[in-house]
Amino acid sequence: MTVEALAGMRVLDFTTGVAGPYATKLLADHGASVLKVEPPNGDSARRQGPFAGDEPHVEGSARFLSLNTNKRSMTLNLDTEEARGIVRRLVPEQDVIVEDFEPGFLRERGLGYEDLETLRPGIILVSLTPWGQFGPYVEYKQSDLIAQAMSGPMLWTGNAEREPLKLAGAVSHYHAGAMTALAATIAHYRQELTDEGEHVDISIYETQASSRDRVQPHITNYSYNGSEPGRRRAGVSLATGVRPCADGYVNIAGGTSERIPRFLRMIGREDLLGDERLAALPAPLAAELVEDIETSYLEWLMQRTKRQVVEEAQRARVMAAAINTPEDLVSDPHYRARGVWETIDHPHTGPVEYPGRPFIFSETPRAPARRAPLLGEHTAEELTRLGYHDADLSRLRELSVI
Amino acid sequence: MPRLPLEGIRVVDVTVAWAGPSCSQLLAEWGAEVIRVEPVTRIQPMARYADRPSTREQQITLASQGYSGGGGYPDFEPGDQPWNRNASFNSNARNKLSMTADITTDEGRDIFYRLVEKSDVVVENNVPETIAKAKITYEDLRRVQPQIIMLRMPAFGLSGPYKEFRGLGTHIEGMIGHHYIRGYPDGTPDEAGEAFTGDAVGGVQGAFATMLALRHRRRTGEGQQIELAQAENFLPVLGEQILDWTMNGHDAGPQGNQHRSHAPHQAFPCLGEDQWIAIDVGTDAEFVALCGVLDAAELAADERFASAPSRWKNRTELDSLIGERTRNHDKFALFHELQGAGVAAGPLLDAEEKFHCPQLRERGFYEYLENSVVGGHWYPGLAWKTVQTENHLQRAPAMLGQDNEYVYKEVMGMSDDEYQQHVDSGMIADAYPPSVLGYTPPYTAPESGT
Repeated sequence: MTVEALAGMRVLDFTTGVAGPYATKLLADHGASVLKVEPPNGDSARRQGPFAGDEPHVEGSARFLSLNTNKRSMTLNLDTEEARGIVRRLVPEQDVIVEDFEPGFLRERGLGYEDLETLRPGIILVSLTPWGQFGPYVEYKQSDLIAQAMSGPMLWTGNAEREPLKLAGAVSHYHAGAMTALAATIAHYRQELTDEGEHVDISIYETQASSRDRVQPHITNYSYNGSEPGRRRAGVSLATGVRPCADGYVNIAGGTSERIPRFLRMIGREDLLGDERLAALPAPLAAELVEDIETSYLEWLMQRTKRQVVEEAQRARVMAAAINTPEDLVSDPHYRARGVWETIDHPHTGPVEYPGRPFIFSETPRAPARRAPLLGEHTAEELTRLGYHDADLSRLRELSVI
Repeated sequence: MPRLPLEGIRVVDVTVAWAGPSCSQLLAEWGAEVIRVEPVTRIQPMARYADRPSTREQQITLASQGYSGGGGYPDFEPGDQPWNRNASFNSNARNKLSMTADITTDEGRDIFYRLVEKSDVVVENNVPETIAKAKITYEDLRRVQPQIIMLRMPAFGLSGPYKEFRGLGTHIEGMIGHHYIRGYPDGTPDEAGEAFTGDAVGGVQGAFATMLALRHRRRTGEGQQIELAQAENFLPVLGEQILDWTMNGHDAGPQGNQHRSHAPHQAFPCLGEDQWIAIDVGTDAEFVALCGVLDAAELAADERFASAPSRWKNRTELDSLIGERTRNHDKFALFHELQGAGVAAGPLLDAEEKFHCPQLRERGFYEYLENSVVGGHWYPGLAWKTVQTENHLQRAPAMLGQDNEYVYKEVMGMSDDEYQQHVDSGMIADAYPPSVLGYTPPYTAPESGT
């Protein structure tokens, strides 16, 4: 019998939206016991599309469903003293608390780090906010778009003749969420060794300024010599970048001096292999030679589908990828063969395929995922465990505590 | 008692390019002893770029064309050791150690095994056949150190039809569907440029997976292999787009800067060349506030923009009308004015502006590190703060072979004689010989044939 890597780790989760829930999903998916405390009207992600069947429903949000697998849900209104009392009774059972309230919110409610540490010595509090717990911008509003604009790589993405592009799909929040999960497990590792607590201050803004998607190296480069990167299309150099083919677009890297012989053989232009003008690489080649090569390349591409191009190029040891649509991705034979997709049943949506494990452990494999919880699905169970009776639950509901 | 969480954990690092080195960097920043094992008898591709140096003049020309791309040198000067001065490599090499051994040779492999015996984690991100040929698969290494944790980060995984396919971040972005959805809604995928979010997330999640394996090992004594296929690792990040397909059969198409319900949600031009501000409006109150700051009462009164759904439906027209009204504003002044009025807005910052950003400065984000070859510079710092146990960057980027003596003698316990034998064979050095480089430092431009 195998155990999951985070078996026995207990997490109380006060987060909503994308970043925090992605962090606690990573923990829950690998065996941590995560109790998600939602406000009585639910995590805001429950009201964000796309929805199953295009019908807005609190249990039908694709965003919520994919971000909250393996968690349990209870509702609590933290603006009531009774709810805060329930939290104080839950805290001693936890190893880690993850929260994304504005700075000071928990402290004002008697649940700051010192309060929590008194309730559960050695607790880890992970506070995830747009700007961090302090700094001149803490009162300002921030969203995924604003984070990408200011501390992300947005200015360097897209076509120089047009407006810069953010990276679609709220990726700054997912990246920050992955950082949060990492910070939580690193702090938890020390906690298990020393019994000492920690307050982790995560700023989405700083996670983006630390991102390996160009920001960290570009800032380092600026610090070294004051230069700035540009904003460029993909596919400006010989045989390299995004090109059209019979059914879409592909991205190939074939134009370096090392790869060009393999590339020319691949597109059937062996006749150019001995051409002395190729020796000029990596400097730009003569314009008529570039046009000759690119014309043959385009003809070759237009006779092939994305998948054919990628397979032939990779066989020729030329790095290549398709610009896949969601349909291409979900039907792709490689992902099918590796069993990436995981079917999860849910009372509102029925069985649906989700992206499964992000990595594979040889000794601590993931258990099959449990669906995201219904809103407050485990409230009664948790309160009963704490000694509340049915009559108490009705009263708490009437008082809008749960 | 350890002060930093990962003190006492030794990580052997044979990573290249971006995702792998950023993974081991995160472990190094939180206290692990991360030792890069690098060849000097050949050039490791996609690492220190010793085979692709450029002269000061070439660097300046590239930078002036916007091609600096993170791979430049301090003051553009390659110096005698360009491989120790590359910004792209160095940004991932802080807090790390470097020793030299070529693991593709028998001698280097024996050295590698001796290091693995004394280590806890091995991180690599090569094509599977490279690791198999070097005889350093998990099966090989667990014979040497039964409790070893090996994180493997190939592009497409250790099985399946694309197992030996090669790709960089830009190719993985294409295969997983991210390049497609991040295009301009009215443009072609080439216009979207290149992004490397898969590398960024892969590095973080690789470190996360390593922490999980370390926890399990401490509890049970059991090591393991972690297989992180970079082209799978990113899929949960696209969960909602993938579910929209598997649940609803919808392909929402390239999204560009648009939001599912907010409008405006776009980058708008400001005063000056290539100056922009991002504005994100969700509610009616925010829209009225935006119109107030832009002195655009006519937009606030326009029926097409009277509610969130109608603003979203008419977002293309709205974007162009807002853009006409932002272009005479300074992006910083407008940022503070809009935020003061309760509107989410932020200027698009270049590297210089990020470097001087008051929020990052006041939080002490940038840290100063110095070594003899690179000199002293400020570096982007840690991704998060710990309040109880303060942490900072400790060591300047690892220079090639700088820790050979420590690793060979103190970690592996080699005698002076053994050490000398590996020096004599060329395995141990702190510079590439000219025969490997193809030039004799300092690097100068090759004679042009034209």
